[in-house]
Amino acid sequence: MILSEKIEAGRFVVTAELGPPQSCNDGAIRKKAAHFRNGIDGINITDNQTAIVRLSSIAAAKILIEEDLEPVIQVTCRDRNRIALQSDLLGAAALGIRNVLCLSGDHQKFGNHPEAKGVFDLDSVQLIAMTKQMTQGFFLCGESMKTPPEFLIGGAANPFADPLEFRILRLAKKIRAGARFIQTQPVFDLDRFGEWLNLVREQNLHEQTAILAGVMPVKSAKALHYMKEEVPGIRINPEYIRRMENADEPKEEGVRIAVEIIQALRTIEGIKGIHIMPLMWESITPRIMEESGLVTKS
Amino acid sequence: MNEISSLNNLATREGKKATRGEKWLSRVMLFLEDCVKVPVFRCQHCGECILSHTGFVCSQRCPKRLRNGPCGGTGEGGTCEVYPERLCIWYMIYRRANRLHRLPLLNRIEKIHNWNLEKTSAWLNVFRKRIEPPIFFIKKGDRE
Repeated sequence: MILSEKIEAGRFVVTAELGPPQSCNDGAIRKKAAHFRNGIDGINITDNQTAIVRLSSIAAAKILIEEDLEPVIQVTCRDRNRIALQSDLLGAAALGIRNVLCLSGDHQKFGNHPEAKGVFDLDSVQLIAMTKQMTQGFFLCGESMKTPPEFLIGGAANPFADPLEFRILRLAKKIRAGARFIQTQPVFDLDRFGEWLNLVREQNLHEQTAILAGVMPVKSAKALHYMKEEVPGIRINPEYIRRMENADEPKEEGVRIAVEIIQALRTIEGIKGIHIMPLMWESITPRIMEESGLVTKS
Repeated sequence: MNEISSLNNLATREGKKATRGEKWLSRVMLFLEDCVKVPVFRCQHCGECILSHTGFVCSQRCPKRLRNGPCGGTGEGGTCEVYPERLCIWYMIYRRANRLHRLPLLNRIEKIHNWNLEKTSAWLNVFRKRIEPPIFFIKKGDRE
């Protein structure tokens, strides 16, 4: 069963995030992906995240397909105009990639080439709509194509950025444009997430798309501080920071927090899955999956 | 509501080619337009004005030039992720649209920008039917 069928059938899905290396080392991708074998329904490949040059997400996705795993490619509007985006989407479909996550992309200022020209020809809502149109057999210009690509189209949502009401409005736009699944930023503040989800449920948006809540296991209190200070639009419950600071073994505490958050999220109505983002810590994924009950121990 | 139901809705296409006379007219119109829009709205000359949809705050001042709402980087208190000393344009748009009871207009999915309209007169583009006219009044029933 492929990811789109699982989402269609309303099953609880788990996706994980994999960042390609900053070199052409395909072994690194295979090694990281090995941690995602058990119970993971789709592996997100980031597209030059935080604007740092990395191996192409489509190439990395092809490597995962060779490994019999199901990739979800992230596509950002930062580096490509409408011509390149459509061309890459066709190429991805030809390589057997079935899932696309459409994003605006981090600003080039944050990366290792801050002098670069940011393209932003489209924004994420328009990218979702354009990809949807391509699956219906038409290029953006209106010309038809012989073999249209088949994609499960997704988008992102940030429940933690201000203003909250606008986040819902934008989520609704993405759904209307054609997003069939939504991945959220990592949850470190369950109260705020619940508030957001209440508004989502009020408008019945959770019925129209599959919302996958982001979970990020962290190794140290330093990582949490970094997230709080440096990553815009993230909210962290001070309780977690305190627990990480006071822990004798911060790594163990990090796992416990991630497991707690997953277990809390699983019970909330309107959540159709979990998106695990083990930043530079892929090897912990199987343990978190087992301890949170997402897979049964083998 | 502007929905992506027909294909023509997703992107603004090339309309009639500008004639020589129109190019002159465009320069005059652009000058007049700039006199108003630059000091009042800090217009960025996209030529495809959506000011009336965005609570009369120019969305093109966003560093990513997003036309459909904020990116995920708006910080606490509504700061911009790229320039933390500034407010997020979309945060301002939301506040203003809320005050002016124009929130329903933010639900529109804005078209993909036609870059050939860049640095042309949006007013003239409305007359020449290249872009949609601005929406000044919204029906009472649509107000929230």
